[in-house]
Amino acid sequence: MLQDKAEKNPEIIGFACSYCTFKASEMAGSLRMKYPDGVKLVQVPCSSRVDPAFVIKAIFEGADGVFVAGCHPGDCHFIKGNYFTRRKIAALKEMFDAFSMNDKLRLFWVSAAEARRFVEKVTGMYNEIKERKNVRKEN
Amino acid sequence: MLGKKIKNGSIEDTLNRFLKDDQHLILGFEKGENGVSLRAFKNHLDHYSLLNPIFSTNGALHLRRLFSKGTKIILMLRPCEIRAYIELIKLNQIEREDIIAVSIDCLGAVSSKDKTDDIPTEADQLREYFKKTDTIRWACNVCRERRGVVGDAGIRIDRDGLFWAFSYTEKGDSFLSLIEGESEESKTEMLMSGSEKQDQFQIDMKTFSKDFSKCIMCMNCRDMCPVCYCIDCVFNGDEYLPKGDALLNKILRSGPVQLPQGKELFHFIRMYHVSQTCVGCGACEEACPQGIPLTKYFKGTSERLQSMFSYMSGRSFDEPIPYVTFLEDELKDAED
Ligand code: SF4
Ligand code: SF4
Ligand code: SF4
Repeated sequence: MLQDKAEKNPEIIGFACSYCTFKASEMAGSLRMKYPDGVKLVQVPCSSRVDPAFVIKAIFEGADGVFVAGCHPGDCHFIKGNYFTRRKIAALKEMFDAFSMNDKLRLFWVSAAEARRFVEKVTGMYNEIKERKNVRKEN
Repeated sequence: MLGKKIKNGSIEDTLNRFLKDDQHLILGFEKGENGVSLRAFKNHLDHYSLLNPIFSTNGALHLRRLFSKGTKIILMLRPCEIRAYIELIKLNQIEREDIIAVSIDCLGAVSSKDKTDDIPTEADQLREYFKKTDTIRWACNVCRERRGVVGDAGIRIDRDGLFWAFSYTEKGDSFLSLIEGESEESKTEMLMSGSEKQDQFQIDMKTFSKDFSKCIMCMNCRDMCPVCYCIDCVFNGDEYLPKGDALLNKILRSGPVQLPQGKELFHFIRMYHVSQTCVGCGACEEACPQGIPLTKYFKGTSERLQSMFSYMSGRSFDEPIPYVTFLEDELKDAED
């Protein structure tokens, strides 16, 4: 029973920029909005700090999905960091595509004020992956 | 195009004249009893070969962290080697000021692991040889740029079998000025034309795992890759691939692992890290003791990722590597 539960709940690692998405997650917490326990955030000083190696490592060490989240393009605290993020993560997604595993990685733009958007994005991703995971387990 | 016709023996004369200066070097190919190999020539050429039909390593590998000025060097290498050299310049791994890079039309190569003693080194015989046998390396068969059109200057072969030197930069001009004779218009078409577009690389994890199942994680592929240049590779140390106590802790914490561990992790991360700079030379595969089809994966993914930004590794000195630049208005659908 315990194992059953463990198998069906996905684990998602999110790399969140400390100036926007991570702030949004804190705000979601203080507004008592809920998002799934399986979503684990890693705070990064800027979304461009995320070497795609981190994402690949998270996935091959067992995460069911990974997202990278930063400020909307044009709003980076460091002015242009998220433009680099966009290039790097778009390329990484293309690579995952080439290996037919594009369902594992997402890129989100969430500003510090968008607590609701944050909850919607991560919950949506979580549910989709959970659904797929359970379908796969059944057959 | 305006170029200089190379008469028989005149390229050797040119290079020998250049080598008279003690501070001048040439990196090129040497014919030996056991085939052709890479050599750094000083003072004069010995058994010089323009072409090298045997692939062992990518010559640009040896130029990494070459920063000194004052020693003038001419590179007489294959297109894939010059392209890797150009990527390394963009990565600040080479000081280019005193280097003239000359790419030479390449007819392809066999693996240095195969039988190499009967391979001719002259262009026309080599062409015949590759027509008769299928020993050419896979990397060469699907090579994106076999033409000497990269670097400062190029040596091209025309349809009549004549050799030509063309200049692409100022340094190329100075290389051409070393060659005797006047520049003239080349009227005959060149032997080699640009290669057609390859199909987009697409695979699944099952095939990938199968192809890499014999990998022993020796990391030779990384060490011989010319553009995998980090001194502090993430795979050194215990962070990504724990050993000993750290490995034990990991197993106790998160369950059993297959050993050697981290094959997928290692190759995926490396594939991404070289995705814009990989020149598809196949030096990785050449270095692999387990016969893993690395080129298929590394060349495949890198071409797919380069095409996203209309980039081609080593094509030009000025095109920035896509990950270190951006356009504000692009990749609108990257966000989920
Ligand atoms: S990969 Fe291309 S340039 Fe390099 S040896 Fe093969 S054919 Fe020549
Ligand atoms: S990954 Fe392989 S094919 Fe690509 S540049 Fe490195 S050695 Fe050459
Ligand atoms: S050289 Fe071959 S065996 Fe060694 S790590 Fe690379 S793929 Fe694996």
